[in-house]
Amino acid sequence: MSRVMSFLRQPIVVALALIVLLLYLGELMSPGFASGAQILRLLIVASLLGIVAAGQNVVILGGREGIDLSVGGVVSLSAIIAGNVMNGADIGILPAIAACLVAGAFFGLLNGLGITLLRIPPLVMTLGMLGVLQGLLVVIRMGIPSGQAAPALSRFVTQPLFFGVPGIIWLWVAIGILMAFMLNRTVFGHRIYAIGSNEHAAYMAGVPVRLMRIALFMISGMFAAIAGLCLLGYSGSSFANVGEQYTLTSIIAVVFGGTSLAGGKGGYTGTMAGAFLLVILQGILTTVNIDESGRQMVFGATLLLLMMFYGRGRAMRA
Amino acid sequence: MSKLKLNGVSKAYGATLALRRGDLEVMAGEVHVLMGSNGSGKSTLCKIIAGSVRPDEGRILINDTPVTITGPRSARAQGIGIFYQELSLAAHRSVEENICLAALPARARLFVDRAALKDRAARYIALFDGVSGEGFSADALVGNLRPDQRQLVEIMKALASEAPLIIFDEPTSALDRAQVERFFEILRDLKRRGRGIIFISHRMDEIKAIGDRVTIIRDGETITTLNLNETDAGTVIRLMVGGAGDMPASQSSAPAAVDAKDGAALTVRNLSGAGFRNVSFEVARGEILGFGGLHGQGQSALLRAIFGAGSVSTGEILIGSDRFDATSPRDAIRRGCAYVSGDRGRDGVISGRPIIENVTPIHYLRDRLMIARPSKLRDKVAPALESMHTKFASLFHPINSLSGGNQQKVIIARWLIDRPDVLLLDDPTKGIDLSAKADLFALIRQLAAEGLGIILYSSEDAELLGNANRILVFNGGSVSRELIGPERTRYNLYQAAYEAA
Repeated sequence: MSRVMSFLRQPIVVALALIVLLLYLGELMSPGFASGAQILRLLIVASLLGIVAAGQNVVILGGREGIDLSVGGVVSLSAIIAGNVMNGADIGILPAIAACLVAGAFFGLLNGLGITLLRIPPLVMTLGMLGVLQGLLVVIRMGIPSGQAAPALSRFVTQPLFFGVPGIIWLWVAIGILMAFMLNRTVFGHRIYAIGSNEHAAYMAGVPVRLMRIALFMISGMFAAIAGLCLLGYSGSSFANVGEQYTLTSIIAVVFGGTSLAGGKGGYTGTMAGAFLLVILQGILTTVNIDESGRQMVFGATLLLLMMFYGRGRAMRA
Repeated sequence: MSKLKLNGVSKAYGATLALRRGDLEVMAGEVHVLMGSNGSGKSTLCKIIAGSVRPDEGRILINDTPVTITGPRSARAQGIGIFYQELSLAAHRSVEENICLAALPARARLFVDRAALKDRAARYIALFDGVSGEGFSADALVGNLRPDQRQLVEIMKALASEAPLIIFDEPTSALDRAQVERFFEILRDLKRRGRGIIFISHRMDEIKAIGDRVTIIRDGETITTLNLNETDAGTVIRLMVGGAGDMPASQSSAPAAVDAKDGAALTVRNLSGAGFRNVSFEVARGEILGFGGLHGQGQSALLRAIFGAGSVSTGEILIGSDRFDATSPRDAIRRGCAYVSGDRGRDGVISGRPIIENVTPIHYLRDRLMIARPSKLRDKVAPALESMHTKFASLFHPINSLSGGNQQKVIIARWLIDRPDVLLLDDPTKGIDLSAKADLFALIRQLAAEGLGIILYSSEDAELLGNANRILVFNGGSVSRELIGPERTRYNLYQAAYEAA
C-alpha cells in the first residue's frame, strides 16, 4: 500500500495525472480541446517551453541556489538576432543558428563568471543580466526592422515533418533523449548531481566545481537561444520581449517535474511533463478568456502551490 | 554550600553511551576544573548542565534543591550561564549589542533601550580595559575583530549573564598572556563574591593557576575530585589515562620502525600555513605515521593543506622525489594523493545519490572517463566495497540508506579503484561503530603493507597507539614531540598534548 502511495506521490506521476485531468476538463469546457490536432498544437508550444526548461533544469540541478532568470531575455534576443540574420531567406538559417548559439553561450558565460569568480548569487546575477538584456533589446530594435523567419524554419516548427508530427516536436524528443543520456550515463551528468547534492564533497573528490557551474549556465543560455530561434519560426516575426514569459514558466516546468530547487535531485523527463502540463493550463485559461496578467497570476500561484504540495524539505532544504 | 550538584547523571545516544555516570559538585566561591580526554563525556556533562541535552537518568541539585532543566532558557532561569567554545556571536552586530544579546534592556517591553544597553555593556568592556587591543570598542562590529577579541566578547557576554554559576568551556584558547591574566583576576573576584565557576582547559599551567579543585572524567565516568594544591600534573594525567597508561603500545600494534630503503612516500619541509607552522616530517613507503594531540592543534589543517584544500604560505611538499604543491584537491588526486575526512557529511557523502556514484568520482578523474557505463563500473566498484566488508543491498540504492560506518566505507572505497601513493586520514573513524572501525584499520594496515605512505590523524589515542609506527604530537600548530618505538604510550601521548607548548 505504501509502495502504491509513494508511486502516486512521484512528481512525474502527479504531472501525468494532471495532464490527463486538464485535457479532460478542457474538452468539457470547449469541445475539440483534446482533439489530435489541438494536442499537436499544444505540444509545439510545449516544446518551445521545454527547450528553455532543459537549460533551466541543469542550472537548478547544479545546486547552490542555481537559477537562471535571464532565459527570457536570451530567448527574445535570440529571436531578434535570428530574424535579422536570416531575414526571410532559407540560406540564412545556418548562420542564424550559429549566431544565436554564440550569443546564448556568451551571456551564459557572463552569468557563470559573475557567479563563480565574483561570487554574485545566481538570483541576483541572472536578474541583473535579464535587465541588461531587456535594455539591449530596446537599443537593438531602434531603427532596425525585426526581421522575418525563413520559410523552412517556419515549416520546421509548424508543419508536419514525419508521421504528421512537426520537426520541433522531434527536436524536443531528441533533446529529451540526449538530456536523459547526459544526466544518467555521462561523467558530466554525474558531476552535475554531485555538485548539486554536496558541492564541498564534490570539490574534495576532484570535481572542477567552478568550471562545471560556468558550463551549466552556458548550456542554459544555448538552450534559451535555440528556443528563441524556434519561437521566431513559430510566430513568423519577432516582437518586443517575445520571450519574456519564459523566465517564470521555465522555472515552474522544472518544479512541476519534481526537480528540487535546492539542487541535486530530479531530472528532465519530469520537466518535459511539467512543460506540457503548463501549456495545457495556459490553453484552458485562454479558452475561458483570461488575459495575460491573469495567466501570470495563475502561474505564480501554481508555483507556490506546487512547492507546498511536494512538501517541505523536498523543494527547498533549510 | 554547594551551588550545583550532579548525581549519577547518564546520557546515551542510541547504542552509544556518551556519559555513564557523571558526578560533580561545585561549591560557592570556587573554580572547579573539569578534565578528561576527547570523548570522555566532559562536554556532554556541560551540555546537560546548560540545558541543551536532557539526561536519561540522575539528579541535578541547585543550592541543594532538586531541579529539572528543560532547555537553555530554563538553565538561564536557574542561574546557569555558559561560555560557548564554538563562538556564538552575531558577526554583523556591535560589541555592546552582543554582550547584552541574551537580555536586551527594553522600554515598554518593545523598544531597545540604547542608553541602558550602552551602560550595561560598558561595565563589562571596562573589565578588560588596556588588554583588549587595538580597534576594540563598544560600537565595533564583532565580525571585524581579531579572534582573541571575539573571544573576549564571548567572555563578556557570559559575565553579563551575572549568573551565580558560569561554565567556561576553553575560554582562553585564543587569548594572549595579558588577557588571560586579566581574565583570571576577574574570575578571582567572582570567587570572592561567592559565584561558582566550572572551568575547562587543556593547559596544565592555567589549571594550576586558577583552579581550586579538579574533577576527572574518563570513559564517561567521574573518576575522582581532587584539591589542585595537593596534587601534581603527572597524577592528574595518570588518572585521565587510566591504569595501563604506562604500558607501551600493545603487541598487536604496528612495528616500531619501517624499512625505509624504498625512500619516502611523502616529504614535508618547514611547512607553514593557516593553522600550522614550521612542520617537517617524512612518511616512508609502507609506514603509518600518526598525528596525535588535542583537537584542533593543526593536524586537520595540515592534512587539508597537503591535499590542496587549505592554504600553504611557506615550505615544500614532495611526493616521492617530485615537488608537489597541489593547488586543488583535483590536482592532488591526479598526482596520487588521497584524503579521507572524518566529517563525512561535509567532505565525503554525495547525499541522495546512489552508492555507485559515491565511489566513482575519483575513478572518473584518474581515468579521464567521459561516459559512465554502469555494467563496467560495477565490476570495479563491487570489489572495492567488498574489500572492506561493506554491507549494502544494491549499488543503486542511495548512500543515505546505509549506516554511518558503511557510508564511511563507501567513501574510502572510492580511493581503492585506482591506488594512490599517499593516503591522508583525517580522524576517519569519527562516529562509526566498532566493527566498522576494525574493518577499516585492517584495510589501512594492508594498504601500508602494499607500500602506501599513510598519515593517520585520530582523536582516539587507542587508534594511534594500535596502528601508527610513529606518532607526532601536535600542540598549537606545530609538532611538540615525536614518539618512536617504546615511547608510544598513552601517558607520553597525554603529557605531550597537555603540557603548554
